[in-house]
Amino acid sequence: MMPERIDLPQGTLDILILRTLSLGPQHGWAISERVQQISDDVLRIQQGSLYPALHRLERQGWIKAKWGASENNRRAKFYELTRTGQKQLATEQDAWEKLTAAVGQVLRAV
Amino acid sequence: MLSDLYIRLRSLFRRAKVEVELDDELRFHQEQQADKYMRAGMSRDAALRQVHLDFGGLAKIKEDCRDARGISILESFGHDLRFGIRTLAKAPAFTTIVIVTLALGIGANTAIFTLVNAIMLRALPVRDPQQLVVLQWSARHWPQNGISSFGDCASNQRNATSATSCSLPYTLFEEIQKQTNVLSDAMAFAGPSQMNLSGDGAATIAQGEVVSGSYFQALGVSPALGRTLLPDDERSGAPAVAVLDYAYWQRAFGGSPAVIGQTIRLNDTSFTIVGVTEPEFTRLTPGKSVDLWVSLSQAPHLGKQWAGRSNPDNWWLVVVGRLQPGVSRAQARAALDLLFVNATSHGTKQHWDKTDNPHLDLLPAQDGLRGIRNQYDKPLMLLMTAVGLILLISCANVAGLMLARATAREREMAVRLAMGAARRRIIRQLLTESLLLSFLGAATGALLAPLGVSGLAAFFSKNAWLPLQLDLHVDARVLLFTLAVALVTGIGFGIAPAFRGSQTSLTSHLKGNATTTVRHSRVQMLSLGSALVVLQVALSMVVLTGAGLLLRTLVNLRRIDAGFDTRNLLIFDLNPQLAGHKDEQIPGLYADMQRQISTLPGVNSVSYASEALMDGGYSSRDMKIEGRSDKSKVEVLTLQVGPNYFPTMKIPLLSGRLFNSADTANTNRALVNRSFVAKYLAGRNPLGMHFGGDDPQDPQWEIVGVVGDAKFATPRSEDAPTAFMPFTSGGVSFEVRTAPPPATLMRAVRNVVNSVDANLPVLRMRTQSDSIDRLLFNERLVARLLGLFAALGLMLACIGLYGLLSYEVSRRTREIGIRTALGAQRGTIWSLVVRHGILLVSLGAIAGGGAALALTRLLTSLLYSVRPTDPFTYALTAGILLILGIFACSLPALRATRVDPTTALRCE
Repeated sequence: MMPERIDLPQGTLDILILRTLSLGPQHGWAISERVQQISDDVLRIQQGSLYPALHRLERQGWIKAKWGASENNRRAKFYELTRTGQKQLATEQDAWEKLTAAVGQVLRAV
Repeated sequence: MLSDLYIRLRSLFRRAKVEVELDDELRFHQEQQADKYMRAGMSRDAALRQVHLDFGGLAKIKEDCRDARGISILESFGHDLRFGIRTLAKAPAFTTIVIVTLALGIGANTAIFTLVNAIMLRALPVRDPQQLVVLQWSARHWPQNGISSFGDCASNQRNATSATSCSLPYTLFEEIQKQTNVLSDAMAFAGPSQMNLSGDGAATIAQGEVVSGSYFQALGVSPALGRTLLPDDERSGAPAVAVLDYAYWQRAFGGSPAVIGQTIRLNDTSFTIVGVTEPEFTRLTPGKSVDLWVSLSQAPHLGKQWAGRSNPDNWWLVVVGRLQPGVSRAQARAALDLLFVNATSHGTKQHWDKTDNPHLDLLPAQDGLRGIRNQYDKPLMLLMTAVGLILLISCANVAGLMLARATAREREMAVRLAMGAARRRIIRQLLTESLLLSFLGAATGALLAPLGVSGLAAFFSKNAWLPLQLDLHVDARVLLFTLAVALVTGIGFGIAPAFRGSQTSLTSHLKGNATTTVRHSRVQMLSLGSALVVLQVALSMVVLTGAGLLLRTLVNLRRIDAGFDTRNLLIFDLNPQLAGHKDEQIPGLYADMQRQISTLPGVNSVSYASEALMDGGYSSRDMKIEGRSDKSKVEVLTLQVGPNYFPTMKIPLLSGRLFNSADTANTNRALVNRSFVAKYLAGRNPLGMHFGGDDPQDPQWEIVGVVGDAKFATPRSEDAPTAFMPFTSGGVSFEVRTAPPPATLMRAVRNVVNSVDANLPVLRMRTQSDSIDRLLFNERLVARLLGLFAALGLMLACIGLYGLLSYEVSRRTREIGIRTALGAQRGTIWSLVVRHGILLVSLGAIAGGGAALALTRLLTSLLYSVRPTDPFTYALTAGILLILGIFACSLPALRATRVDPTTALRCE
């Protein structure tokens, strides 16, 4: 039995990618695997949105890409967090935590 | 952001590499995923299939990635462009028609704009022209002193309530030059005027300007050779030196460096050439061509008595200053205005009453020095409006063609939509195509424009009073204008068809039975096409009406009774004083000329007068007339005439007698015209009455005869009271009445003048018709061009109508076939099509007539004895449109009558 999956709310994809990359450089497939694993298969990133998001973040200068060898020694494109990306992650994480805490508080109180 | 720019640029210029990397990246992901599935126990085939299912459309992801990298606009523009070129190349007939239509529309705009740019917009070709100001005064009345001007500033006819001029006395210029706290430099000039130049081959006429010694320094104009004038040259008693204009130096002296130090004679005075100006300095006042400059201190030696320096009553100089850095125009104005008001309203001689409120203004030299802009501003704006209308017509025309083409491409659009193309991508593609067309049209138009420009320039020069300086080279502003027009045009005619094209209904087209299901959208498209045709007809009607009104004006002006015979009359001017003749020798010289010219074969009679009639100029004096109770003076036009003047001009004698050999300048006998009698001596016998100035020293003239009225200055002049006196001295216009066409005698007459005095140049030899044509220049210019544009507009509108109806007939083939099969007569079918055409033309004519009523008011000042709402012209224009419209319809209508019912019914 597969666990029930949740569609990613708007705008959360970027923060998930940035957070995953804060652990170290990764290629695209590993990013989606890692998110899926850590969320116990609840969150699953569609390839159709993962790659455009990676390219967008690269353009914004939050992550940068270089080619390297994968764990099974294949040529793969690795993404890593830049200095501005780290700052961005901190800001977004902070905002996200405040938001969820506030939303949770409201939901519990009513 | 730097990464942003880097990635965009990399996407653009390393596109192949970026694409390969994207492929690699996605393939790596797929393989990893497939490995994972296989580890979970799937077969390789099943794993790959599952990966493809997970991924969805790979092309879509790639497109999204490209979008995310921000490459799409530039890159897809490249795609669109290549695709557009291929598509247009596949339809050469369509492409050619569109490009030619646009080339005519845009080319006409570029041509007229080149003129507007040269005459109205181009910056003065001097150093930092924005710092230059021209001094212009205004007051409620004209001051009571001599003012001369050469038309540099805004022209202001003498009228009772206001006076504006740039002419200032030398004494004030000296004061202004001292105001270095507001003006870093100031210079003054007057001219150019004709100077008789000898000492370099045969005597010629040069346009010479007298200027202050500071002229070139103030403008920042350097010499190409030798030196320019310096302040020291203005000193009284300084050596007489001249500076040549670069183009004149090339033209008249062959560009020889040996001219420096050469002596020339100007109006019989020796001048040494000291320099040539730099070639960039082509003009100061728009349109004025100057051949050489001399110091204004030399003016009295050149016979220019109006150019006195010491007399504060003599106002003749235009003063231009350069603002000190950091000083605003308002600050400088305040300082100089004070100076001006003090000098003219106080002191020994007062020029004005307090109530006249005289004050001085500082205008930017670019606006203040107007020159030929006074004359051409208005017609140029009219023509710019007209070419704008023509461009609208060509846009509407091309939009009609694009619309028909969009219908033909509905299936193509449906396929692209089905393949997942976004509607905005399709709009962008279609707009790229129309922009491609408009830029190709603009390029062709820009190549055609110089032809039109040189034609126009020749027409301008041929009709100018003085040599005309027009710098018509294509500069950045003209190019920018053409590019902007191309852009606006491309979007203008492309936008509706593009949106229409992207709204293609998908399924019906792919099913192949589009004809039945999309009728709705086609009906809309037809009505849009019809609206475009109506617009074209309406705009053509506006231009055609304007042309018609001006043609009627020209006919009216040429038909007017001038009061003298304007045919077979050859005119030329002489100014013997400039060639060194003394006043007392002049009457003998003229008598000699008169006698010798009249012996030429083909010459019927010869006379001369102080001015030629209907040649633009006139002179008048305020006089008192005997027996009139009121004390006020009245304006009388005056003309000094030589022997045999009235028979030569064929002005009839109404009563009394003409001059005879006993009437001289000192006998104080005069003739007056019919208007003089009617206005000032009504009901009395004019013979023996006296008139004259109110100064005791002024001669009182006795009227010995009355002659018929003749137009004096221009064909539009009202018949005005005129007095004729015997000729005394000065320059003249000779009038030669010929039997053959007058132009054929030009050489012979010139030879006679040369044989009498080789040093006396013949000035402005022309026929009376030339003079009249020149006076009617604006009317002729606008009439000609509006006529040309109207023809162009009509042609385009007819092509548009023809195209629309042809398309409609081909679309309705089936319907027409059924009607024919059911027994409709050919006439019925014919009128079915033609009726639609006539309906469109009529709607256009009504709309156009309404627009013309509003727009032709702009023409009012050019019209003569025809109102802007002249019903005859409107009816005629509408008639022409209707007839041409029927012609344009008849071909598609004929094709409709030839539809074979059996083929038609099978064709779908």
